[in-house]
Amino acid sequence: MSSVSKWGNLAQYDWSVMSPEFIILGVATLLSLLDLFMNKKADRRILAWIGFLGIIVAGYFVVRNTGQNVVSILNDMYRVDGFANAFKLLFLSGVAFVFLISLTYIDESKNIRYSGEYYYLILTALLGAMLMASSSDLITLFVGLELLSISSYILVGTRKQHIHSNESAFKYVISGGIASAITLYGMSFIYGLTGSTNLYVIAERLSSVFYDGFDFLVYFSFFLMFVGFAFKISVVPYHMWAPDVYQGAPTPIAAFLSVVSKAAGFAIVLRVFLISFGSLVSFDMETGQQGSVLVNTLSVYIAIVAAASMIIGNTLAMRQVNIKRMMAYSGIAQAGYLLVPFATLTVLMFEQTMFYLVAYLFANMGAFAIIMLVNRDQKTEDLKSFAGLYHRAPWMAIAMTFFLLSLAGLPITAGFFGKFYIFMSAIVHSSYWLAGIMLATSVVSYYYYFGVIRQMYMRPGKTEAPLKVPASIGLVVLIALVGTVAAGIMPDPVMQYIHHKFPLQQMFQPGGQ
Amino acid sequence: MSGEFIAFFVLALLTIGGAVFMISFTRVVHMVVALAFTFLGIAGLYVLLEAEFVGVTQVLVYSGAISILMLFGIMLTRHDATEVTERKGPFKYIAFAGIAVFFIVAFLGIQSAHWGDQQADFTKQNNVKEIGIQLFTHYVIPFEAVSVLLLVALVGAIILAKKEAEDE
Repeated sequence: MSSVSKWGNLAQYDWSVMSPEFIILGVATLLSLLDLFMNKKADRRILAWIGFLGIIVAGYFVVRNTGQNVVSILNDMYRVDGFANAFKLLFLSGVAFVFLISLTYIDESKNIRYSGEYYYLILTALLGAMLMASSSDLITLFVGLELLSISSYILVGTRKQHIHSNESAFKYVISGGIASAITLYGMSFIYGLTGSTNLYVIAERLSSVFYDGFDFLVYFSFFLMFVGFAFKISVVPYHMWAPDVYQGAPTPIAAFLSVVSKAAGFAIVLRVFLISFGSLVSFDMETGQQGSVLVNTLSVYIAIVAAASMIIGNTLAMRQVNIKRMMAYSGIAQAGYLLVPFATLTVLMFEQTMFYLVAYLFANMGAFAIIMLVNRDQKTEDLKSFAGLYHRAPWMAIAMTFFLLSLAGLPITAGFFGKFYIFMSAIVHSSYWLAGIMLATSVVSYYYYFGVIRQMYMRPGKTEAPLKVPASIGLVVLIALVGTVAAGIMPDPVMQYIHHKFPLQQMFQPGGQ
Repeated sequence: MSGEFIAFFVLALLTIGGAVFMISFTRVVHMVVALAFTFLGIAGLYVLLEAEFVGVTQVLVYSGAISILMLFGIMLTRHDATEVTERKGPFKYIAFAGIAVFFIVAFLGIQSAHWGDQQADFTKQNNVKEIGIQLFTHYVIPFEAVSVLLLVALVGAIILAKKEAEDE
């Protein structure tokens, strides 16, 4: 507040840190205008490339923000810290993959009429996700959440001629609306009790409120918000939408929902609960001991949710014959694994979550790229469409094997170390039952992941004709494969990089302007 | 029993009653009218809480614009549509039981809290001015994000609802 500019108070902030968001917003606007003035019959792929370029430039600016001090704009309405940068890079690379997959998906099959809108709605969804990662105010977080949600509802319904797509978009919008209502109800209690939407102010005031006889309402609001956010990360109790929506959505959008949207959900869960509930301390009257509410009380419930998601996701995935439904249930199980670090809250909680998310990003994006290719070729989403893939496209089959191994958590893939770190956190926290469930459900998951591998290598396909692989899909698979294997061979540099470049402590520091 | 309490009671009854009738009516037009009562009740509650500006906006936007828009939409489409009677099954009772449990928990939780005796006094605040200042200074980022959100909703509504010619 030192110097007053002639432009007023708003000019004193360093708005340049927001350039990734501005670029995405600008490119989305540009695409919508170009789409409007382009010839109706013209090829819309040029829009995808402009969008892709915008994502790369935005990524460059995020990298430039990385490693800097915390910058906070307008009283933490928007803040740049290690946590935000890490998640933003994840979203940007995820959406870049989705764009590359979409290029092939939309090009050949005329199933999406409005491909211009399709591309810039992905960008607005990305903008919402980025806002969710880099704000410490409930209002901005919620607006970001809604921006992501509403864009996704529309994207799911873009296959208009497809009856499944219509149905899944409708289901998604209804369950999403209920989830938003539950989230808002929980937030309204927090606002009513503390009188602020700023997470740091909430953290300050929540302790005194907690001792003034409102402890029940504090717990109540926590559970309401958690159930609401559970919709975005698709864990129990709010997972039922995922299989139907993934099945009906265009395949690249299913990939988007399973990686970017889910990661955005984790960003908001971690940000809201770690800041506002992290410093809440309960006082035991009998023993006179103090303990963190999040660590002692709430973590048990989070662990139960994680365990239930692993069990339900993995067991139901075994019965699926549709590959996209199977990936949806697998995604529910993976979200359960991802909740384990949050439930155990070890020192390396953030690094473990990030590593797992990166491994999940590579494996899932690669897998969905190949699923899209195979399903389009065979004109079916059945598991059997993978039969004989090894003889038709050996490299694709080998890459798919690595992605599935990574999802299953077997060695020389990133997924193995991701699961290993999470497993160790459960052991360190001495949640042996949670670690046991993790192991058992992982073994169960081998069954359905190996089911796909068996189809690819051991079952004869309908045709032996070589599968033509478009360049953009080849690129996605190559990058995902290199990422999966490299992080699987050298996990330590990745962990070190996350630890040094994206320090979690920054999340709790007050920001400069 | 103060006048405020009576007003609150009437408005709350209007709000909840409208919502319940909205669900139980079978004709679409009746549903919209019931919904309009809910919107009006909520506007009244805002006024009771000394948020006149929000109350007036609620009447203008929800009770006025949205209800009328819905009625127009229904009139232009199949306005005599009635809902098919839903199937009865155990699911209905399970859902009802779940909601009942949730209500009891929330009700007891709110009842058991010890709210302070002194009431908040907002009579000296200028509602409209405060909202304006907050919206364009402190909350400018979410405000701009909401404009993107509305644009997305508009585009989405158009591409999902547009009836295109079958020939390409």
